[in-house]
Amino acid sequence: MSKLVSDGLTKSFGDLKVLENVHLTIEDGEFVALVGPSGCGKTTFLRTVAGLESADEGAIYLNEHQITGPGRDRGFVFQQDSLLPWRTVMENTVVGLELAGKLNGAEAERVRALLDLVGLGGFENYYPRQLSGGMRQRVNLARALAIDPKVLLMDEPFSALDAQTREIMQAELQRVWEEGRKTVLFVTHQIDEAVFLADRVLVFARRPGRLLEDIRIDLPRPRNMATKRRPEFVALVDRIWKLIEKDVRESVLIEKI
Amino acid sequence: MRAIKSSRWISTLHPWQISLLSVVSGLFVWQMVSDHVIANPLFLASPFQVLKALLRLMETGELWRHVAISAVEFFAGYAIAAVLGICIGLLIATNDFAKNWLQPWISGFYATPTVALGPLFILWLGIGVWSKIVVVVLLVVFAVIINTEAGIRSTSERYLEMMRSFGATPRQLFFKVSLPSATPFILAGLKLGIGRGLIGVVVAELFGSRLGLGRLIGASADSFNMPELFAAVSILAASGIAMNSAFAHLEKRLVPWTKD
Ligand SMILES: Nc1ncnc2c1ncn2[C@@H]1O[C@H](COP(=O)(O)OP(=O)(O)OP(=O)(O)O)[C@@H](O)[C@H]1O
Ligand SMILES: [Mg+2]
Repeated sequence: MSKLVSDGLTKSFGDLKVLENVHLTIEDGEFVALVGPSGCGKTTFLRTVAGLESADEGAIYLNEHQITGPGRDRGFVFQQDSLLPWRTVMENTVVGLELAGKLNGAEAERVRALLDLVGLGGFENYYPRQLSGGMRQRVNLARALAIDPKVLLMDEPFSALDAQTREIMQAELQRVWEEGRKTVLFVTHQIDEAVFLADRVLVFARRPGRLLEDIRIDLPRPRNMATKRRPEFVALVDRIWKLIEKDVRESVLIEKI
Repeated sequence: MRAIKSSRWISTLHPWQISLLSVVSGLFVWQMVSDHVIANPLFLASPFQVLKALLRLMETGELWRHVAISAVEFFAGYAIAAVLGICIGLLIATNDFAKNWLQPWISGFYATPTVALGPLFILWLGIGVWSKIVVVVLLVVFAVIINTEAGIRSTSERYLEMMRSFGATPRQLFFKVSLPSATPFILAGLKLGIGRGLIGVVVAELFGSRLGLGRLIGASADSFNMPELFAAVSILAASGIAMNSAFAHLEKRLVPWTKD
């Protein structure tokens, strides 16, 4: 069981209230997407779950344990892949195990299988600069999976990729997730990406950042390209867009001033 | 038409062939100038005269005695400066008190032509190798310190953050992120130190010494023996080139991720 609970999380940077009283519960094995206008605190929320930021009020609990710092029960997949350029694909992927002092032959074999799973078999000895953007994000994902976390935290992992690669990565992520069924928190700006991947889409509002709506996505799995053309899919995307449209316009206008 | 043809011919050459060609033509021009333009051996020695002087110095064994002393001075000073420079650089990059304490001295010494202190060290330490070693250390160490510090400080926050999210301790952050990411900078500082160290050896020996390539240069200049002077200089140039290319190989081994 790995239930994730945010109990009245509130967080400010100086005078700016970034998150206000966020209450939510994420069940074991659920794939949850977070969408919302720029600056509504999605990254801050994810970083707090990761233990990289601390809460001002309220707390995050993973299996009833309060989160106070980073830990290997949570794997973070960064927007920029942050692969260490002096390490090969394999060395980058095992880094979490290495830091924990848990790297051994059996674990290395498991990581090798993981690289196969994300489609990087045969690239173990490549350096990051020798990889395409899509491949680097696969390493980024494999690195987070390698520590076998209870929760996978993903902050716009595909935003730097071109549209085609992105579609492929969405399908790949779904496939990888079906294999392990980890709890996933996935931040994205693409509403269709959120609806395509998630069991639930959490819609955030800004100023202050707060949970606006919690929308269940009951589209059958596995989902594919055809799913994106189904009327239910289109209706869900439309509904979520309408929820944040006003906020997004505001955020764009404010940022322009 | 002819120009196009010759440029095609040039483009078929290897990079090293082009470099060799450049050196050979340089030597040729030098020979021509010393044969026909400045034909006075008091002012300029021709490549052949230099070669002859070099062979003579080798034969008598004189050259080796000079080279051996200069080499000892250079390598001892360089090694001390490398170890000291890397340690101090790491210290001031990770400790703000040490940084603020040492920074004015480092900036001051780096900007000062410390070779000028050579006579002082001869006064203190005598005309043996130690006064030269100190000058080499002073010339090399600050370049290493500054590069090491810059390397550690320029470690990308993204990498540190990523490692923190995997629960890295400060110690692990240092050894697994800061240090490897600073390695190219440290190597650049050490490479810079080669040229500075060679200058240090020669100038310090010129101020006063019994043996060494700088001493040989000084003595040749005093007796207007240009072939010997150029012989000593070409030994220095050759060792500089050799050490720099050895360094390039070392870089390929130590930081293979930066190049193809
Ligand atoms: N370390 C920080 N110090 C001060 N302010 C911060 C810090 N981190 C974030 N903020 C502010 O908090 C607000 C929310 O930031 P956050 O990055 O969580 O938003 P986001 O929803 O992820 O936005 P985006 O969709 O653009 O990534 C922003 O206004 C931002 O300027
Ligand atoms: Mg963000």
